[in-house]
Amino acid sequence: MRLFVYILSKLASAFITMLGVSALVFVSLRFIPGGYADILLGPFVTPAAREVIERRYGLDQPLWVQFVHWLVSLLHGDFGVSMVTQQPVINEFLRRAPVTLELASLAMALALAIGLPLGVMAGSSPPGLRRDGFARVIGAIGAGVPDFVLGTTLILIFSVWSLWLRVGGYTPFTQDPILNLRTMLLPAITLAVFGGALILRTSRDAVLRVMTEGYITAAVARGERPIDIVRRHVLRNASIPVVTVVTTYFGFLMGGAVVAEVLFSIPGVGLYAYNGLQNRDYAIVETSVLLAAFVFVVVNTLADVLYAIIDPRVSVDATR
Amino acid sequence: MNIGSRFRGAIAASALVGSVIGVAFTAHAADKTLVWGKPAEITGFDVHVAGTVASWEMYQMVYETLLTADENLKVQPALAESWEQTSATSYVFKLRPGAKFSNGRPVTAADVAGSLQRIKNPETASYWSAQLGTIARIETPDDQTVKVELETPHPAFLPALAHVSAAILPIQELKAGEFNPAKEMLGSGPFMVKEHKQDESWSLARNPYYWGKSLPVADELEALIIPDDSARVAALRDGRIDFTTFENPDIAKMLSSAANIAVLPLKTTNYFRIDVNALSPKSAFIDRRVRQAMNLALDRDAINNLVFAGTTSVDYPVPAAFGKSACKATPSYALPRDQRLEKAKALLKEAGNEHPKVTLLATSSDPVFAMIAQVAQQSLADAGFDVQIQQPPMAEYLKRVFTDGDFDLAISWLAGYTDPSMVIAWWNPKFALWNQAFQQDVPALDNVLDQIKTMQDGPDRDAKLDEACKLIEDGANVLALVSKVDYVAYRSDRVKLKLPARSGSSNTFQYVAEFEPRH
Amino acid sequence: MSTREKVSDAWAMLWRRDRLSAIGLVLLAMLVLLGLFGPYLPLDDATKIAVGPRLTPPSWRFPFGTDELGRSFLPRVILGIRATFLLSASAVLITSCFGAVLGMTAGYLRGTADQLIARCADVLFAFPALLIGLLIAAVLGPGNFSAIVVIAVATLPLFVRVIRSVTLGLAGRGFIVAAEVAGASSMRIMRVHILPNVAGALVVQLTYALSVGMIIESVLSFLGLGVQPPGASLGSLLRQGSAYLTFAPWLALSSGLVLSSAIMSVNLVGDAIRDILEPLYGRPLT
Repeated sequence: MRLFVYILSKLASAFITMLGVSALVFVSLRFIPGGYADILLGPFVTPAAREVIERRYGLDQPLWVQFVHWLVSLLHGDFGVSMVTQQPVINEFLRRAPVTLELASLAMALALAIGLPLGVMAGSSPPGLRRDGFARVIGAIGAGVPDFVLGTTLILIFSVWSLWLRVGGYTPFTQDPILNLRTMLLPAITLAVFGGALILRTSRDAVLRVMTEGYITAAVARGERPIDIVRRHVLRNASIPVVTVVTTYFGFLMGGAVVAEVLFSIPGVGLYAYNGLQNRDYAIVETSVLLAAFVFVVVNTLADVLYAIIDPRVSVDATR
Repeated sequence: MNIGSRFRGAIAASALVGSVIGVAFTAHAADKTLVWGKPAEITGFDVHVAGTVASWEMYQMVYETLLTADENLKVQPALAESWEQTSATSYVFKLRPGAKFSNGRPVTAADVAGSLQRIKNPETASYWSAQLGTIARIETPDDQTVKVELETPHPAFLPALAHVSAAILPIQELKAGEFNPAKEMLGSGPFMVKEHKQDESWSLARNPYYWGKSLPVADELEALIIPDDSARVAALRDGRIDFTTFENPDIAKMLSSAANIAVLPLKTTNYFRIDVNALSPKSAFIDRRVRQAMNLALDRDAINNLVFAGTTSVDYPVPAAFGKSACKATPSYALPRDQRLEKAKALLKEAGNEHPKVTLLATSSDPVFAMIAQVAQQSLADAGFDVQIQQPPMAEYLKRVFTDGDFDLAISWLAGYTDPSMVIAWWNPKFALWNQAFQQDVPALDNVLDQIKTMQDGPDRDAKLDEACKLIEDGANVLALVSKVDYVAYRSDRVKLKLPARSGSSNTFQYVAEFEPRH
Repeated sequence: MSTREKVSDAWAMLWRRDRLSAIGLVLLAMLVLLGLFGPYLPLDDATKIAVGPRLTPPSWRFPFGTDELGRSFLPRVILGIRATFLLSASAVLITSCFGAVLGMTAGYLRGTADQLIARCADVLFAFPALLIGLLIAAVLGPGNFSAIVVIAVATLPLFVRVIRSVTLGLAGRGFIVAAEVAGASSMRIMRVHILPNVAGALVVQLTYALSVGMIIESVLSFLGLGVQPPGASLGSLLRQGSAYLTFAPWLALSSGLVLSSAIMSVNLVGDAIRDILEPLYGRPLT
C-alpha cells in the first residue's frame, strides 16, 4: 500500500513537471526565428503570402490563445496536425515509436551484455591484474568517443566494405527480420558503446565498493567460492547504482536516438522530431517533447520501484 | 506427314506456346519499378504555393502544365496540344484530347481556367502569380479551348506556363470539396501517389489514364528520402536506388570512376547569387558605392575553382545559358582582378568607409553556400572588407533575409527559367514582392524591365538587356556569381534515363515517363 | 626535497600505481598546451584558403592533408582543440559556481527554496538534452554564446543535484550545529563550513561535466549550430569532414580521433581525481 501511495505521489509530481516542460517548449518554439510560412514558401515569401499562411494555420493568434487551444485539444486527445502533410501527428508517432523502441532496446541490450559482465569481472578481480586494466581501457575509450564520431566512422567503414551490415534502408522487423537487423545493428552499436562504457565503469565501482564491506571478508573467511560470493552478495548490493546509471543511460538514449536516426536514416521518432524542428512544424516538436518527458518519467518511476524492491531499507517516504 | 515431322511439329508448337506463356509470366512477375533517391522531403502539398525545388521535383511526377520547355529552352506543347497568339495580349490554347486526371476524368478548359485563376487569387498565396502577368479575362468557349486575355503584353506568359508552379489542378473536384490540394495530389501526369510516409518514402504508381502512348515505361516509381550525400552514394552503390541528384561536384567526380554508375552534369539557367541589403540603415551597404566596391572585389573565378573545382562557369544576371552577351561588358566582369580591386578600394575611400564590418549569411542546410561564403570572405578581405560569416538554419535565414531585412550579405541561388526576361524581372521589387526587404527600387531599371517584358526576342530586346545589365551593375543589389550545375547520378546497369541537355525550370526529370528500368 | 624532486616522485608514484590515469594526464596536458600555444606555432594560417590543392591526403607539407577549400588541416584541428576546450571549460566553470550556490542553498535551507530549486533541476533533467540544445541554439542563433548557454543549461542540474545531496548529508553534522548555535548566519555557514566540504564532490563533478560539455559542444557544432565558419571546433570540423568521408576520410578521422582523445583524457584525469578524493581500493578476494 505504501508502495502504491509512493508511486502515485511520484506520478503526480511528474505530471506537474510534464506540464511545466510542455509550456516551456510551447513558448520557446514560437520564439525561434522563422516559421512554417517561411519553410513552405521558401525564398519567395512575400508579406501578403506569409499573412495568408499564418492565418490559415492559426499562427497569428496571441501566444496564450494558441497555448490554451493546444491544451484543450490535448485533453481531447488531439495532438495537432503536421503542417506539411495536414495529417494528425499522433499517427506518425505511433507508426514510428516501435522503430525507436527497437533501436533503444537493441542498444540497451548490447550495452548491458557487454558492460555488466566486464564491469563485475573487473571489480571483483584483484587489483593490478590485467583484467581490470583492460576493462578500464575499454571503459575509457567507450566513454570518450562521442556517438556521432563513432557513427561517422562506422558509416565510413561499412559503406566501403559492406561486411553484411547495411547503412540505411530500414525495413520493418515484421517484414524481414534479418534485413531489419542488418540495418539496425550499426546505429545500435553506435549508441551502445557509450552505454556499455558507462555501465562498465559504474558496475566496476559499485562492485569495488561492495568488496570493502565486512560481509565479503566474512564470506571469504568462510571459504565460499568466488563465483558464489559474486552471485549471492555482490550482485544484489551493487545493483542500485547500476539501476541509477541505466536510467541515466536511458535518458541519454532518447537524445542519442536522434543523432543515430539522423546519421543512419532510421525512420524513428527522433528523426521525425528533428525534421519537425527544422521545418518549424510545431505540433511535431511539442508532441515529441511531451512523449519524451512522459517516457522519462515512467522509466524513473520504474527505477524507484526497483530500488524499493532491491533494497527494502530504501525509504518509500514521499517527502524525501 | 511422317511421324518424325509431326513430332517435330508438336515440339515446335509446344515450344512456341511455352515461350509465350514464359514471356507473359516474366513480364508480369517483374513489375518495372524505378527507385529514386530524393535528397529532401517536400515542404507542402499545394503545387501552386510551395516555393522549393524539393517540392517541385515531386510535383513534376504527378502534375502537368499547359506547356513545357525543351533543351533549347523553347516552349513546347504539353497539356496544350497547340496554341496561337492572336494579338499582343491574347492567347488561344487547344487542349490535348486524351489528357485525363488519374481518377479518369478528362482535363477540360474549366480545369485550366480555374487553375490559372487560383494562382492569381491572393488567398492562395502563390508566388507564381506575378510571373503570369495581369490576366484580364479567361474564356472557355468549349471543353477543349481556353482563351486568355492579358491586360498588357507579357511575352514571358508562355514560358511562365511551363513551370510546374502553374500546374493544372482538377478544379471540379476541388470545388466539390472532394480534393484538398493542401493534403493530397491529383494530377494528369505520368504517375500518381499511392502511399506517402513522411520523411521516409513515396510510392507512386503509373497513371492508367495518362495520355502518353505506352507511357510511362515504368509501372511504379519509389522515392526514398535520403538527405545525406554519403548515404545516397552508398545507396547508389548498393543498388538500393537507381538514380539521384547531387550538388557537390566532388561527389560527382568520385562517382564517375565507378564502373556501373554514370554521372551527367546538367547545365541549368540557374545560378548562385549574393543578396546585398540596400535598405537597412544599420548596413554599410546602404551606400551604393560600398555595394559597387563589394561587387568589384568579388572573385567569381576563385569561387568556381575552389568551391566547384572549376567544373562550372561564371554567370551573369541574364544567365549565360541563354547565349546572350548582355552583362559581359560590365566592369565587374570585364576588368582584370587587380584593376577591380583598385577601383573597389577607391570607392570605399570615397564613401569614407575603408574597412566596413559586414555579416554574410549562408544557411547551414546547404554546405555549398558556406563554401562560397568563405571564398567570398577572403576575396572581399583583399579590398578591406571585414566579413563575418553566420550560418543560421533555413527557417531563420528565410525570416532574416526576406521578412526582417536583418542582414548585410546573403548567399542563395536564382532559377533562370526558360526566357532571359524572366529572372531579371525579379530586380523590380514592386513586381517580385519577395525581395522588398532588401532590394532598392530603381525607377529607371523598372522602366527598362517593363519594356523588356513587352518585347519579343531580337536585337532591340538584346539592347534593352544590355541597358538592364548596366543598371543592375550600378545598383549592385543582387548579383550573380557562378552557374549552378546539377549532377544526375544513376546506375547505368539498372536504368536507362533520358535527360535534357539543359534545364530551365528545375525540371531535371521532365522525361521521367520515358525512364526505362532494366531489371 | 626540492620541488622538482617532489614532482618527479609524485609522477613516479602515479605511473606505478595507475598507468592509465598517468597516460590520461599526459594526453590532457599535451592537448591543453596545443590549444593554448598552438596558434603561435610556425604552421600555416588556419583560415587561409587555397594554401594547397583541395582535398590532398596527409603529407610532409600538410601533416593532416588539406580540406575542401585548400586549407591546411592541421592548424585547423589545433584551432578546433582550442575552441572546444575554451568553450566547454568556460561554460562548465560558470555553471559550477551557479550549481554550487544553488545546490548548497537547496540542501542547507530546505523548505520552499529546496522544493523550487530541486523541481527546476528535475524539469531541466527531464528534458532530452539534445532538444534543449536545439531549442536554445535556435532561439539565440548559432555561435559561441549559444554553445556556452546550452552547455551551462545542460550541466547545471548535475551540479545542483550532487551538491544538494552532499549538503543534505552534511547538514546534521556536529560542526554545523555548533556554528548555528553560535549564531552564524546561513550565508557564513555555507561559505565557511559547507563549501570546503563539498569542494571535493564539486571538483569531481567538474571534470565529469567538462567531458559532457565537450560532447555537447561538438554535437551542436556537428549539427551546424555551434562555432561558425571559418572558425572551427572539433565538432564542426567533423561535420565538414563527414561530407567527404568516402574519398577524403582523413578529415573526419583526424578530427574525430583528436576529439575522442580529448574527451578520454578528461575522463581519465577525472577518474584519477575521484580515486584520490574518494579512495575505495578494496581488499582482494583471496
